[in-house]
Amino acid sequence: MGLKSKASLGTFMMGHIHTRLKFGFMALFAAMLAVAIPHTAFAQETVGSEVPATAAPDEVPAGETEAPEAVGAYTPLEPVEGKGMPTAATDDIWKSMTFQDQYTEDGIYALNMHDYILMPVITAISIFVLGLLLWVVVRYNRRANPEPSRTTHNTLIEVIWTIVPALILVVIAVPSITLLARQYETPPEEAITIKATGYQWYWGYTYPDHGEVEIISNMLSDADAIANGEPAKLAVDNRMVVPAGVPLRIQTTAADVIHAFAVPSLWFKMDAVPGRLNEKLLTIKEPGLYYGQCSELCGARHGYMPIAVEALPMEEFEAWVLEQGGSLPGAEPAAEEAVEDTAEPAPAA
Amino acid sequence: MAGNVNHDYHILEPDIWPLIGSLSAVTFTSGLVLNMHPDTFGTSGSIVMWAGLAGLIATFFMWFKNIVTEAEQGDHTPVVQLHMRYGMILFIASEVMFFVGWFWSFFDFALFPAPLSVTDAGTAAQATANAFLTDNTASGGDLVPQGMEVLDAFSLPLLNTLILLCSGTTVTWAHHALIHGDRDGLKQGLIATIALGVLFSGIQAYEYSIAPFNFGQNTYSSAFYMATGFHGFHVLIGTIFLAVCLFRVYKGHFTPRQHFGFEAAAWYWHFVDVVWLFLFVAIYVWGGWGAPVH
Amino acid sequence: MATTAEGFDTHTEDHAHDHADHKPGFFKRWFMSTNHKDIGTLYLIFAIIAGIVGGAMSGVMRLELAEPGIQYLAGAVEFFGGNPSENANLHMWNVFITAHGLIMVFFMVMPAMIGGFGNWFVPLMIGAPDMAFPRMNNVSFWLTVAGFISLCFSLFVPGTGPDALGAGVGWTVYAPLSTTGNPGPAVDFAIFSLHLAGAGSILGATNFITTIFNMRAPGMTLHKMPLFVWSVLVTAFLLLLALPVLAAAITMLLTDRNFQTTFFDPAGGGDPVLYQHLFWFFGHPEVYIMILPGFGMISQIVATFSRKPVFGYLGMAYAMVAIGVVGFIVWAHHMYTVGLDVNTKMYFTAATMVIAVPTGVKIFSWIATMWGGSMEFKSPMVWAMGFIFLFTVGGVTGVVLANGGIDDNLHDTYYVVAHFHYVLSMGAVFSLFAGFYYWFPKMSGRMHSEFLSHLHFWGFFIGVNVIFFPQHFLGMNGMPRRIPDYPEAFAYWNEISSYGYMIMALSMIVFFVNLAYAFTIGKKAAANPWGEGATTLEWTLSSPPPFHQFETLPVIEDHHDYHDHRPASA
Ligand code: HEA
Ligand code: HEA
Ligand code: CUA
Ligand SMILES: [Cu+2]
Repeated sequence: MGLKSKASLGTFMMGHIHTRLKFGFMALFAAMLAVAIPHTAFAQETVGSEVPATAAPDEVPAGETEAPEAVGAYTPLEPVEGKGMPTAATDDIWKSMTFQDQYTEDGIYALNMHDYILMPVITAISIFVLGLLLWVVVRYNRRANPEPSRTTHNTLIEVIWTIVPALILVVIAVPSITLLARQYETPPEEAITIKATGYQWYWGYTYPDHGEVEIISNMLSDADAIANGEPAKLAVDNRMVVPAGVPLRIQTTAADVIHAFAVPSLWFKMDAVPGRLNEKLLTIKEPGLYYGQCSELCGARHGYMPIAVEALPMEEFEAWVLEQGGSLPGAEPAAEEAVEDTAEPAPAA
Repeated sequence: MAGNVNHDYHILEPDIWPLIGSLSAVTFTSGLVLNMHPDTFGTSGSIVMWAGLAGLIATFFMWFKNIVTEAEQGDHTPVVQLHMRYGMILFIASEVMFFVGWFWSFFDFALFPAPLSVTDAGTAAQATANAFLTDNTASGGDLVPQGMEVLDAFSLPLLNTLILLCSGTTVTWAHHALIHGDRDGLKQGLIATIALGVLFSGIQAYEYSIAPFNFGQNTYSSAFYMATGFHGFHVLIGTIFLAVCLFRVYKGHFTPRQHFGFEAAAWYWHFVDVVWLFLFVAIYVWGGWGAPVH
Repeated sequence: MATTAEGFDTHTEDHAHDHADHKPGFFKRWFMSTNHKDIGTLYLIFAIIAGIVGGAMSGVMRLELAEPGIQYLAGAVEFFGGNPSENANLHMWNVFITAHGLIMVFFMVMPAMIGGFGNWFVPLMIGAPDMAFPRMNNVSFWLTVAGFISLCFSLFVPGTGPDALGAGVGWTVYAPLSTTGNPGPAVDFAIFSLHLAGAGSILGATNFITTIFNMRAPGMTLHKMPLFVWSVLVTAFLLLLALPVLAAAITMLLTDRNFQTTFFDPAGGGDPVLYQHLFWFFGHPEVYIMILPGFGMISQIVATFSRKPVFGYLGMAYAMVAIGVVGFIVWAHHMYTVGLDVNTKMYFTAATMVIAVPTGVKIFSWIATMWGGSMEFKSPMVWAMGFIFLFTVGGVTGVVLANGGIDDNLHDTYYVVAHFHYVLSMGAVFSLFAGFYYWFPKMSGRMHSEFLSHLHFWGFFIGVNVIFFPQHFLGMNGMPRRIPDYPEAFAYWNEISSYGYMIMALSMIVFFVNLAYAFTIGKKAAANPWGEGATTLEWTLSSPPPFHQFETLPVIEDHHDYHDHRPASA
């Protein structure tokens, strides 16, 4: 994030999931406060944060998930419990009740918008309505109030309950529109293109910048997944391997019916429509294994076409590309090894 | 019904045709499905379909016959006639929305041709699966693909436009004649309108037979045939409607003051006419602009 | 105020007409009906049957989802005459959700609200002897039945292949899954089912609009019409304008499937997303079609049991008009992830949120109606209050989904399922039960048991909340919709949700027991069992009303300023 001016608030807001959630619930009672304050924080964040977001591949913590054995060699990542996958209630009930932790800047922004604006506002509204209902039950039941009043109009109150919701919506709309704008930034020229194609019922990933490497990704059987130490129904035989910390140009299309490429922990979902090519920028903050599932009904095995995005440090990604028989951009296919570390275009500054 | 009814509304006796009509409708549509899947159902479909259609036609016939009878026996008080006006206007409004659907797809194809922003088709496997993505002649780009011939808007379609416009005036002529008690003028106007309607349909059928493109080929041909086809179907219905009116004129129905059956037919006819104008301008003239004509 | 006829002096000759009560024989009465009350009854019976079928299907669904893995689908395949295999079983899931969604939407909620209560009470409330087109009224009903028959056919014929029966396309019937993806005849039957039911609804809509515009009793101006009538009027316009577009869209599906057109087939330049636009141009107004009559019923009930005229009558009426109008320009909020450009998403985000404002006006006006009232918590009222709260919960999650950037995560997850069951299975269904208990004495002439109705309420209230509240968690945690089997992590909340179904199902047994009670030993209902708060015209008639009511039209006289119903002296 790296926004010094509001670092403390930022850290607070991105605190561990428990804190976030509990805060969310507490915030019912301070809803309006929550509406006003984080909102202004976001507004600043938007101005400055895209740049640092994609700025520093060196910022990528190399070993957070798994120490790379040797720089330049590809070893499949082991999944980390609770990262990039749903959480079982039996493991952590609070965490099973909310969004997965986010590993993109936009995801964090969206998550914060949900946790600090939407969630408190809608909870407050629901509780407000419930409270009013309980109040009239107590105060205006037949015994407590035998003579009904005849009031059927009160212009002031009617104006208030029209204006106030409208204002609340404006408060929601501003960060919402900002979020949309952030999500729809066009990928920079040098972004790495990866094309995800939905098939009935598996995914194909191609890497046009890397010598047309093509990966076909099928769900592992439950037994294989568990043997691998991976979650059943989410694990795949060949993952979509990508570099972390650099802008990716994700394209989706489909060969038969509509599918949707969706990874909850990256706040990423884009339909794969036959005859269309959808494109969106994705920058994954740190290496890791991020699971998702096809999210558009596509026939019998719609539930069985998971997505596993494996984000690696650049060198390992490149090693993987070479292992797949691909080539690195800018390099002559013959001289792959030599140019490895300088080959990547500098990310946006 | 019984008793001292003190209002002008039309309370109807129980009637069997709604039930027959609905069962016929589902029989008909089921027959269509059977017909569309001979591999699964063999040839049994036709008989089901025709049975359903027969029931539907019988229902329509009896239904409207009953309405005419009721009208003639004086059940259609002014307020009931007003109901019918509302009913007809609302029915036409829903028909308009039906055509909105077809125009929507036409304009979608015309204004936003299939997005082919792809520069790269990936591997061979994908290239075959997504052949259309790379093959710019098959789709995309233009509404009317390169080299496809269309019908010349300013030949038969223009003629048809004039025919329909003309029929709009003849039906108004008939209406005025009716209002002024000129039964001969009414008959002549109606006959002329029906003749023009038949002529229109004939020309349309001829044009379909010589059209340089098939039903299912690309979006232009799909939108073209479905939109003009549904319009043609409506012309047919409108012509039958007018023919029924003509028949009723010969039976001595309609008075200068009460003739909603005729008016409804005329409204419907104008509606069909207006839809054609949109079809002509949008699909024939604008849609085919610049493409080689047949 | 004018939601109630209080302050109108009604001159009606009441129920003293014996001659008005000559009913035709059984077959004529129920199969050839031209009587709005009988047709209303037919619709209600039909809706209850469809509700049982759709509810039973959701029971199978909850059973299957109670734990990970596939347990029951093979049995379902066999039940419909297919041949179990892994893919056939999985396909059966899609068939179930499709049938469940279509049945609940087209054959339960719509027939019950518009066909059932609309038919019964619009003429009564405006002081009309019947509908404008009584014979067409009947064809609307039978076309609905015909549509249901066609949908049932679809369950027994091939969908994706000779062994995988039924249409596994979702109630949205998206192309190309519904064209090349399900080549068998099942989808054709399903499409025609919608054509038939849709035709019935369009005819019904014309009938209602004409009736409401032309058949109001003398003195019953538009601004004095009960709010239920207003709600049906707005709904009828939505039906009239939205359904034909669906008809066109599914006709395109049909020709793409069978006659080589390429509307949605990219190989011929077509576009699958076009179908989604057409569908949702219908589909979004459709969700308001399913809730507006409910709004109307809630207004009547809240006023009745608060013994107070509705607060802000005009605002209530025009809020519904506003919801109806704005409802036509927000459809693409169902399509945020198809690849819309950013400006489009921003527009639809903003437009969608606008609807919260008139809806809020309704919620708050209901509460204001109770405020200062003298409330009695009879069965209709508890359902109405349950409605107000649960609909609010469903509505505000709709506002969350309305944010395109947030929906990028939530779209097609169980959060959406939770949202729409809160507004449907709780909103629409609660209003149905509220209306049912409110008008049951009027329709049947018998009183139901208040105790059983309250028991039903609490069981249902707890049950559906246990079913659907945890689905928010599942959705946020990433569980996609429309899957029969899921990663282990989602097991816990799914299990809870399935337990909720049991509670709900038990309460439905109470409902049917209550019906049996009412028809056997239930007390006879008075003309107005609800007391002075019930002031609309139907309560001036006997329970049940005469076969032909209002043979002399009631005259509504208004001595007061209708705007705010203050007695002239105040
Ligand atoms: C009765 C049916 C019904 C109703 C009334 C609604 C009402 C609303 N719906 Fe819902 N919706 C559905 C049925 C319904 N919906 C269905 C069936 C689907 C799924 C279809 C499918 O994909 O299968 C769906 C899906 C759906 C989506 C798409 C989700 C997705 O697929 O990704 C969205 C997104 O915008 C949405 C939004 C809304 C909104 C904003 C409202 C608003 O009208 C709600 C307004 C109400 C309130 C807000 C509460 C009361 C207001 C106040 C107390 C005032 C104060 C409030 C504020 C200031 C916020 N709905
Ligand atoms: C009105 C609409 C409605 C109603 C009431 C319900 C009710 C229920 N639904 Fe349904 N549901 C949908 C509409 C509805 N649903 C739709 C549109 C979908 C999406 C389908 C798709 O993805 O394509 C869906 C999908 C859906 C799913 C997701 C499937 C998936 O994505 O894989 C689930 C899962 O739990 C579910 C469960 C239930 C349950 C347990 C109920 C229970 O609440 C059921 C209890 C039974 C009743 C509430 C009926 C009682 C009513 C009567 C008996 C009639 C009474 C009549 C009068 C009083 C006149 N539904
Ligand atoms: Cu692929 Cu769902
Ligand atoms: Cu919607």
